[in-house]
Amino acid sequence: MSTATIALLGQPNSGKSTLFNALTGLHQHVGNWPGKTVEKKEGSFSYNGREYGLADLPGSYSLSANSDEEVITRDFIASGKADVVCILADSSQLERSLFMTADYAGISVPCFLVLNMADVSREQGKQIDVKTIEEKLGVPVILISANDKKEYEPFYEALEKAVEKKTMLNVSSLENTYEKINGYSEIKNIIPDNLIPGYSTMWLDVKTLENDPVVMEKLKSAMDKDALAKIEEVKRNAKGAIETGGAKFAWIDDVLKDAVSDSKDTMTLGKLDRLFTSKVWGKPAVVLTILLGLILSFIPALPLMGIGMVVSALKAPVGDLLTTVGCPEFITAILCNVVIQSFSFIFQMLGFVFGVTLVFGLLEEVGVMARISYVFDNTMGKLGLQGKSVMPFLVSFGCTMGGAAGTRVIDNWGQKVLTIALAWAVPCGAAWAVVPMLSTLFFGSYAVVVIVAILFTMLLHMWITAKIFGRHLVKKEDRYGMIMELPPYHKPKWGALLRYVLGRTKDTFIRVSKVVLLVCGVFWVLSYSFVPGSDPILYTIGEAIEPVTKIFGLKWQLFMAFIVSSIGKEGALGVISALFNGGNFSGAFYDAMSGGALASDLNDTLLANVTKPEALAFIFAITFNMPCVVALAATYQEVHSVKWTARIAIYYTVGAMILSMIAYHIGLLIW
Amino acid sequence: MSLDELKENKIAVVANLDGDSRFISRVTSIGLTPGCRLRVVKNDKNRPVLVYSRDTMISLNRKECLGIKVKEVEG
Repeated sequence: MSTATIALLGQPNSGKSTLFNALTGLHQHVGNWPGKTVEKKEGSFSYNGREYGLADLPGSYSLSANSDEEVITRDFIASGKADVVCILADSSQLERSLFMTADYAGISVPCFLVLNMADVSREQGKQIDVKTIEEKLGVPVILISANDKKEYEPFYEALEKAVEKKTMLNVSSLENTYEKINGYSEIKNIIPDNLIPGYSTMWLDVKTLENDPVVMEKLKSAMDKDALAKIEEVKRNAKGAIETGGAKFAWIDDVLKDAVSDSKDTMTLGKLDRLFTSKVWGKPAVVLTILLGLILSFIPALPLMGIGMVVSALKAPVGDLLTTVGCPEFITAILCNVVIQSFSFIFQMLGFVFGVTLVFGLLEEVGVMARISYVFDNTMGKLGLQGKSVMPFLVSFGCTMGGAAGTRVIDNWGQKVLTIALAWAVPCGAAWAVVPMLSTLFFGSYAVVVIVAILFTMLLHMWITAKIFGRHLVKKEDRYGMIMELPPYHKPKWGALLRYVLGRTKDTFIRVSKVVLLVCGVFWVLSYSFVPGSDPILYTIGEAIEPVTKIFGLKWQLFMAFIVSSIGKEGALGVISALFNGGNFSGAFYDAMSGGALASDLNDTLLANVTKPEALAFIFAITFNMPCVVALAATYQEVHSVKWTARIAIYYTVGAMILSMIAYHIGLLIW
Repeated sequence: MSLDELKENKIAVVANLDGDSRFISRVTSIGLTPGCRLRVVKNDKNRPVLVYSRDTMISLNRKECLGIKVKEVEG
C-alpha cells in the first residue's frame, strides 16, 4: 500500500479541525511539536488503497514568523515531510481567507485548495465558479461543507490528483503584482537562489520586505556586509508588509474576478449578536451562556460519573472478599484504597472532562466562543489573557478539572497555562461544600463576611498570580490586543465532534490515570501503618513539624487535613474528625472520599479542639490549596509540561500556607 | 483619523497603517490593507471595535485601532 503525508493549513475558523476530525475519526493523536509548547495533532486514514498520514498545522492568519505556531507551520512544510499541503479557505469570506493561499504561494510543496463552508456561502447567495479559480491557480480546487460527510467524495478525488500529479500553485500573475511594488526587483537581484531550501526566491524576497525575523536572520548569516547594507537601504525606501499585503489582495481580487457573483455588500448583526455585542447585556449574556453550558455538560457526564460511583462502591465487597480468601491486609489495602479509589476518582473526572469538552467544543465550533472573546477582551486583557479565559474561570466554580479541560479552546500555550494557573484560585464545588459549613459553625452569621473575604482574596490571588506567572508565560511583546474575525455561526458536525471528544477523553484517561495512581500511591505509602500498632510516616512527620505549622495557625491535625485537601477537599473533614478522636487516619480519609458519613459529633469535636483563629486559618488554607489530585492531572493533560504543572502545584501549596498564616494572625487580633 | 474615532455605521477606506512590522503583518493578514473599504458596525467604549470588511466581521482591540488610519467616505 502506498502512503502519503498531508498537512492541513488554514486560518482560524476555516473549519480545519472539523475536516481533520471527520477524516481521521478515532485515528488521531495529540502531542506537542518537538521542543515547542504548541499542540500537535496527527492522524491517519485510507482511501482507494492508499494510506494517508494527516498533520493538522497550528492555525494562524498568515505565514509570517511572529509566533511559534507560524514558525512550526513553515518549518514543517519546508522540511518536505508533507507530500501535499491542503489549504483551507472559508468560502463565505473568500476574499479575506484566501490570504493564506497568497502567503503560501512560492513554497515548493504541491498543494490543493479546499473552499469550506459551502453551506454558509450558499445561504449568503454567493455563487462560486470553482473551475475558473482552478484554472487560474493551477491546482485542484473544491467547494465543500466539511460538516457534511456526504460531500467528501470530491475532496478525496482532489487529494488523489494533487498527490499523483504533484500540483503546484501558479504564481506568475502574483509575481507580476509583486514586481510593481517598491524594492521587490532590487532585492530579488541581491538575494542568493535557494537561500532556504523549500522556498522560492520570490517568497523570500517578499518576506525580506516584510522584515520577517527568520528570513532576515538567514540573510545575515549567508550574505556579506555590502549586500546586506544594500538590502537594508532598499527596505528603508519600501513600505514593507503594507505593500506586499496589498499586492496579495490585488492578486486575490484578480483570481476571484469572474469567479464569484457578488453577494450583498453589507451585513447586519443577527439577533444573537446584537445581544452579545450589547453594552449592557453582553456580559450577563456570556456569563449565562457559560453557566448554562456548565449545567448542560453534566448531562453527558452523568453515565461516566455513575461508573465512578459504582467503582467506588466496589471497595467494600472487594475488600471483604479478599479478606475472606485470606489475602494479606497490605495487598487488600493497596487494591482497595489505591487502585479502586483512584479509578473511582478518574471515572468521575472523565465524565466531567467529557461533558465540558463536548459542550464547550460545541460552543467553539458553532462560533459562540469568538463572541465570548469579544465581550471579555478588555477585562481579560488586563491579566494578559484572551477574552475566552473567562469560560474556564466560571467553570472552575463548579470544578477545576472542568475548567482545565475547558482551556483547550485557548490557542496560545502561554495564555492557556496562565488561565489554568489563575483558575486554580477559584474555589471549586468541593470548597463550597466545606467552607460555608465550617464558617457557620465557628462564626455564626459572620460566615457571610468570611465568604465575601474569600471572594476578595480570590480576585487578589488571581491578580498577583497573573503578575508572577504572566511575566514568563505571556511575554510583553506577545501582549497585543485582539485582531480576529467573528465568524458566521456554523451548524456543528455532531459525528466529528463526538469522535473528537471521545478521542480526547481516551487520551485524558491514559495520562490522568498515571498521575492519579502515582499521587494516590505515594500518599497511601505515607499514610499506611506498615508495622501494626506503629504510626504512619505522615503522622510522625506531622507531629514533628507541628512547631512550624503552628506559625501558620495549623495544629498538626489540621495540617494533616490540609495535606489531605490537596488530594480532595471532601476528605479534609473526615480526617479532622478521625484525628481529634484518635481514629485511624488513612481509613478516615478513604472513607470520607468514598462518601462515608462524617462522625455525628464532628461539630462538637471541632468546637472543642479548634480555636476561632485556627478555624479561619484552616478555611483559607484548604480553599486556596491545590484543588485536588484530578485537577492536577487535568492540568498536566492540558499543559503538557511536568515543570509547569509542578510549579503551579508548589506555588499553590506555599500560597495557601501564607494565606493561612495571614488569616490566623488577623484572627488573633480579632479574638 | 484613526479607526477608533470613526462612528458607528460610517464607511471608510484604510489610508495607512502605523506600527512595527509585526503589527502590520497582523492587520494586513486579516484583510485591512490601504485602500480597503470598511464599515464600522459597533464602536462602544471599553469594547473592541467591530468592523465589516472583505465579507468579514472583524473585531479589533481599541489600542490596535490607533495604528489603523482611515479616511471617511460617503456610503
